[in-house]
Amino acid sequence: MSEADQFDSALDLLRRLDPKHTSEHLNSLISLVPTLTEDLLSSVDQPLTIARCRKTGRDYLLCDYNRDGDSYRSPWSGEFETPLGGSGAGGVDDQGNNEGAGEGAVPSERVRKMEVRANEAFDVYRELYYEGGVSSVYFWNLDDGFAGVVLLKKVATPSGKSQGTWDSIHVFEAVDRARTAHYKLTSTVILHLSTGNDALGEMDLSGNMTRQIESDLPVDDDTSHIANIGKLVEDMELKMRNLLQEVYFGKAKDVVGDLRSIAPLTEANRDKATHQEMINSMKR
Amino acid sequence: MASQLATVSAFVEGAPPGELADVIADIKALTIESPSLVSQLGPAFEKYNEEQFATVKLPGGSQYVIVSSHNSLGNGRYFDVGSSSSFAFDHTTQKASGVQSYVLESSHSDLVNSILKSLGTHVKEHYPNASYGVYPIEDDSKIAILVVANKYSPNNFWNGRWRSLYIYSPSSSSLSGTMKVDVHYYEDGNVRLLTTKPISASISSGSASTIVREVTVAEKKYQEELNKGFNNLSEGAFKGLRRQLPITRQKIEWDKIAGYRLGQDIGGGSSKR
Repeated sequence: MSEADQFDSALDLLRRLDPKHTSEHLNSLISLVPTLTEDLLSSVDQPLTIARCRKTGRDYLLCDYNRDGDSYRSPWSGEFETPLGGSGAGGVDDQGNNEGAGEGAVPSERVRKMEVRANEAFDVYRELYYEGGVSSVYFWNLDDGFAGVVLLKKVATPSGKSQGTWDSIHVFEAVDRARTAHYKLTSTVILHLSTGNDALGEMDLSGNMTRQIESDLPVDDDTSHIANIGKLVEDMELKMRNLLQEVYFGKAKDVVGDLRSIAPLTEANRDKATHQEMINSMKR
Repeated sequence: MASQLATVSAFVEGAPPGELADVIADIKALTIESPSLVSQLGPAFEKYNEEQFATVKLPGGSQYVIVSSHNSLGNGRYFDVGSSSSFAFDHTTQKASGVQSYVLESSHSDLVNSILKSLGTHVKEHYPNASYGVYPIEDDSKIAILVVANKYSPNNFWNGRWRSLYIYSPSSSSLSGTMKVDVHYYEDGNVRLLTTKPISASISSGSASTIVREVTVAEKKYQEELNKGFNNLSEGAFKGLRRQLPITRQKIEWDKIAGYRLGQDIGGGSSKR
């Protein structure tokens, strides 16, 4: 059994076990097979945590891409904030280089400039679509371009016993080509919904869905990148929102109806037969 | 090692309807270094099968019968009133064997058999594919009524299970129970519906038809509430999380996004968080 097979089994298991408790299952898997720790942490999406930027007072989101050990980089100040209250430049080595996720990646000056603009743009996007919530964008350099993650989180204002949380995680790569860039976007939405009352009991509808697209788009200057990524994320979220609606409120409801029929089955079958008869008679 | 066993036992317990074999296959791959672990999962399988009302076809039989703590005879044997038989159940392979005839010895035998008959009619009317059972429990002081319906469609990446458990107490003429729904959808994702609804009612006459009528009414009412629950979540919490389009009903003009910033209140939103 190779490590790759074990990794696939771990992902398969996470696709089956209750998605409301993915973080706990992830911890269990890591304690069971410690060699999978890095691969699992970098590929399994978990609900995002909110922190407040000490410098600007604005909220930002934590993930593996702005993490350096226990510290996280605020997109608003660009500085790493330690749990103890300090701040710093992050995991840059003597040559000014750093590695990838979880290792204190810091974008180059040019990419940080784009990151600042992207954060401003997605702050507007967040307000227009989410009317609240928190957004954060993190960029890092690639040899032949750059990559980034766009994060959005909204917790519904509780009405009655209903609760809801939406987490969007959009990871992309932008590879430079002549006058265009090749974008690869992997998007995950984690959506938790629950409600309950005396007549209903407890109802929990939770999960996550992931989709990928690739696209070549024209690039004039760095501003084009922000617009291109913006459009890709906006289209993807629209698509995924429709998909989630279909699965959560269409498919899940249909399966309940397949398990148990409210209408007596003899009646339902008779109606079906009558309906078929009508169709047949119209065909004649 | 004990904690590893607890970890994988919890994975077994969390297996979605119809996916126990897949979960076991994953566990086997993940614990390849300690192969003895899977052989110690017997108690976890037993707990899973009994809690999920596992169903099994008896050798030579045509109907599926239920495996639960309510019809357990101990030592891995279970009884079924409908077919008047008892059987051994292998919790690891989910196979039945050693079928023997079983005569119900209960002071409520007549009631158990009439509930079984009425329940059969109810189940046929509302479940395209379900198993059910009625058993005297707790030293013959109460009667357990079980219904389980499964629908598996792994080719379309979804599986579902409905479970009802009712306990009738002849001495207090009361019926209490729980209905549970578990639906799993896993195409490019993992979405789970988990519901639980307790019920309790007093039964005016202790006749089988009155008891089953109460069950019928409770289940119908619950399923209607569940459909309302879907609508409320869709219209309420879901809509409140993310709009389909901005209030302007137009997608964002990304080339002009910097201008949006200056406008601040475009689309009617304020920059609160």
